[in-house]
Amino acid sequence: MAGTSGRWRDLGAFRARGVHGGVALAEGIDRMVTGIESPVDSERGLAARLRYLTASDAGYEAMDRAGIHVRPRTLIAWLAGEQTPSKANLARLDAAYWDLRRCNVVAGLKRRLNNRGRGTRIEIDPVDQSRVQHRHQRDLQTRNINVRGAVWDRAVDAWIAHDTQELEAIWDDIIQSTLGTDWDAYTHVSSIGWAA
Amino acid sequence: MSGEQFDRVEALLEEARLTARMPKPAERLRLRQAAGLSRAQVAAAVGVGRQTVANWEDGTTDPQPPGRFKYLRLLEGLAQIHPAAAPAQGPTETAAPSGAPVAGSAVPETAWGPNGLAVQGEPAPCLRCGVTTPYKATDGRSLHPGAMCQSPAAVAPLQAAAVPVPAPVSAPSPAPSPGPAPVPSRPQRRAKSAARAQAETAGLIGQAVHEELERAQGDADAAMKALVKRAIPDVMRLFGETRATARYTYTAYPALPDILTKPSKREPDQIWEARPNFHHPRYSLKNPGSIAVTALDVNAAYLSALKTWLPIGKLEHSTGMDGIDPKRSGVHLITPSPWHHPHLPDPLGDRDQPGPVWVTNATLRLLLRLATPKYGLLDPPVVHESWTSGATENFLDALRKTLTAARETAIAEDDTITLEYIKAMYSKFISTMGESIHNREIMRPDWMHIIHSQAYANLWGKAYKAHQAGLDVIAMMGTDELHVAGDWRQVFPEGRGVAQMKIKHSDAKASGEYTIGTAAR
Repeated sequence: MAGTSGRWRDLGAFRARGVHGGVALAEGIDRMVTGIESPVDSERGLAARLRYLTASDAGYEAMDRAGIHVRPRTLIAWLAGEQTPSKANLARLDAAYWDLRRCNVVAGLKRRLNNRGRGTRIEIDPVDQSRVQHRHQRDLQTRNINVRGAVWDRAVDAWIAHDTQELEAIWDDIIQSTLGTDWDAYTHVSSIGWAA
Repeated sequence: MSGEQFDRVEALLEEARLTARMPKPAERLRLRQAAGLSRAQVAAAVGVGRQTVANWEDGTTDPQPPGRFKYLRLLEGLAQIHPAAAPAQGPTETAAPSGAPVAGSAVPETAWGPNGLAVQGEPAPCLRCGVTTPYKATDGRSLHPGAMCQSPAAVAPLQAAAVPVPAPVSAPSPAPSPGPAPVPSRPQRRAKSAARAQAETAGLIGQAVHEELERAQGDADAAMKALVKRAIPDVMRLFGETRATARYTYTAYPALPDILTKPSKREPDQIWEARPNFHHPRYSLKNPGSIAVTALDVNAAYLSALKTWLPIGKLEHSTGMDGIDPKRSGVHLITPSPWHHPHLPDPLGDRDQPGPVWVTNATLRLLLRLATPKYGLLDPPVVHESWTSGATENFLDALRKTLTAARETAIAEDDTITLEYIKAMYSKFISTMGESIHNREIMRPDWMHIIHSQAYANLWGKAYKAHQAGLDVIAMMGTDELHVAGDWRQVFPEGRGVAQMKIKHSDAKASGEYTIGTAAR
């Protein structure tokens, strides 16, 4: 782990703004996930989600995890369009769909990010210092680094497990191994992005 | 005369002799490259700077003392090792021991007179290259002194015609290029001139079209479809090429303020792009009349709109007029002042809602310009807050120029495939540069909005120009549609170029040339 007494550890002391790189990393992976575009409250969006969730055992498990405990008869009525789920169940269906969708794309995400061993080039935008007093501002550039190796597999696994600590540790590993001596300044970022 | 003095005289003579035989700049370069020496090596040996050697080799300057003597000695030595003929020779030709005096060792040396100058005599074809020369070799035959000859390959036809004696026995091999042979061990120079870079970038377009045509085996429709499909990655590559030696590195994935993030994938963000939808209230299509109107179309409106002030980095917040700066760009929250002009469309588009609105910098620039005394068309808007970053107008300019040039060529050659390809490239570049799953290489919704509103601002400029020239602006819609009454050819050149206008034909009632009546009051 990074040093515990670094000046960049207590972000906001001088009114700089940003999020931890691990959080930004998870957001970036989130952005890569695509799925059903239609909202769940539309007929089309609901039908597509139900179809996806009832196509496999994993789908039923996802519904279970999301807290949808309905009788088979109700589910069949939903599928047939004879009955519409309640608002609460619609929200649960949406959550269950995205939960399952994320689990299903994990392998694809790893493949895309690893890019056959070539890794992915990411852009790191440093913290927003526009509110920091001039004398406390640090000269931070936008950095572009290529991230490759087992890091992406670990990051995607931590992302799917919602393991914030692990994501933060991974981010610290990334910046320590690829950025120079001022890596600590990039512990918190305003955003990171990549094309994968 | 002491021996020492004599030596110095000798040295001077030698230097004068070498100076007289100084090879041309191109030859100096060739000799060094043939020997595989770097400029730095030569410079160190001669005792001058590396740049000086470079200047000598491209002819900017001629060798001067104190380095001159050593440099010429070096060149003379190199010329013996690598005579002009040698690098251009194919292995077959050197292997054939014909009577052709081409190999360096077979050529006798130049004869030097006691005055330090090469011996001259009856002009005859040169032994080495075949061009007529008065200079003689040691054996009395004609020979260019030093290494002044061109390679025999370059003058092969001439030689065949003019030289009767040393006619080559071997069959003429396919002529290699007369230029210096590339040395494989050394990388090519990386820096490119702007013109060469642009030509190369433009070459990518033709190359892609060629590739797809070949893959589709001449099926134009299939090729066009394939080209449109690959337009996004291709235009991103073109963009990357044009950014290769650029001064600024832009931020491709900045943190976006809330106003620029879409609440959901289907809903728009809060930026008003000032899209026009103007119909002159005094005219009506419903009432038949005799006013002749022409629907005009701006060619490649979005392509031209690539020239606009784009923010480079992450947008930063500021309040009041702080964000207004000619060198900054972004989005601004303004309260526009009312528009009262009876004949011209509102530059803010067909906005019904009053009150503050987020507009882009392109729209704000237009509004501020129209508020200047030169136009005096409205009061300046009140700016409440801004999200801006340092900006440049030349960001996408290289891309725009490349695409415009390729478009012009395609129009001249009536090449619809390339034309469609280019259209797909610039339009998809703009429409996917925001948050799109089709293009993840850049996420700048602010750029997209600014380019859109720049296109609308450009269209407004055209309407203003028409109005100033005495035409009636009947309608102004979308990105590129301008309907005018009057002799528009006096105002706008007709054609398909980006600076020209063409008549818009479509299925709509009001298209092409049509007539209109005045609205009932």
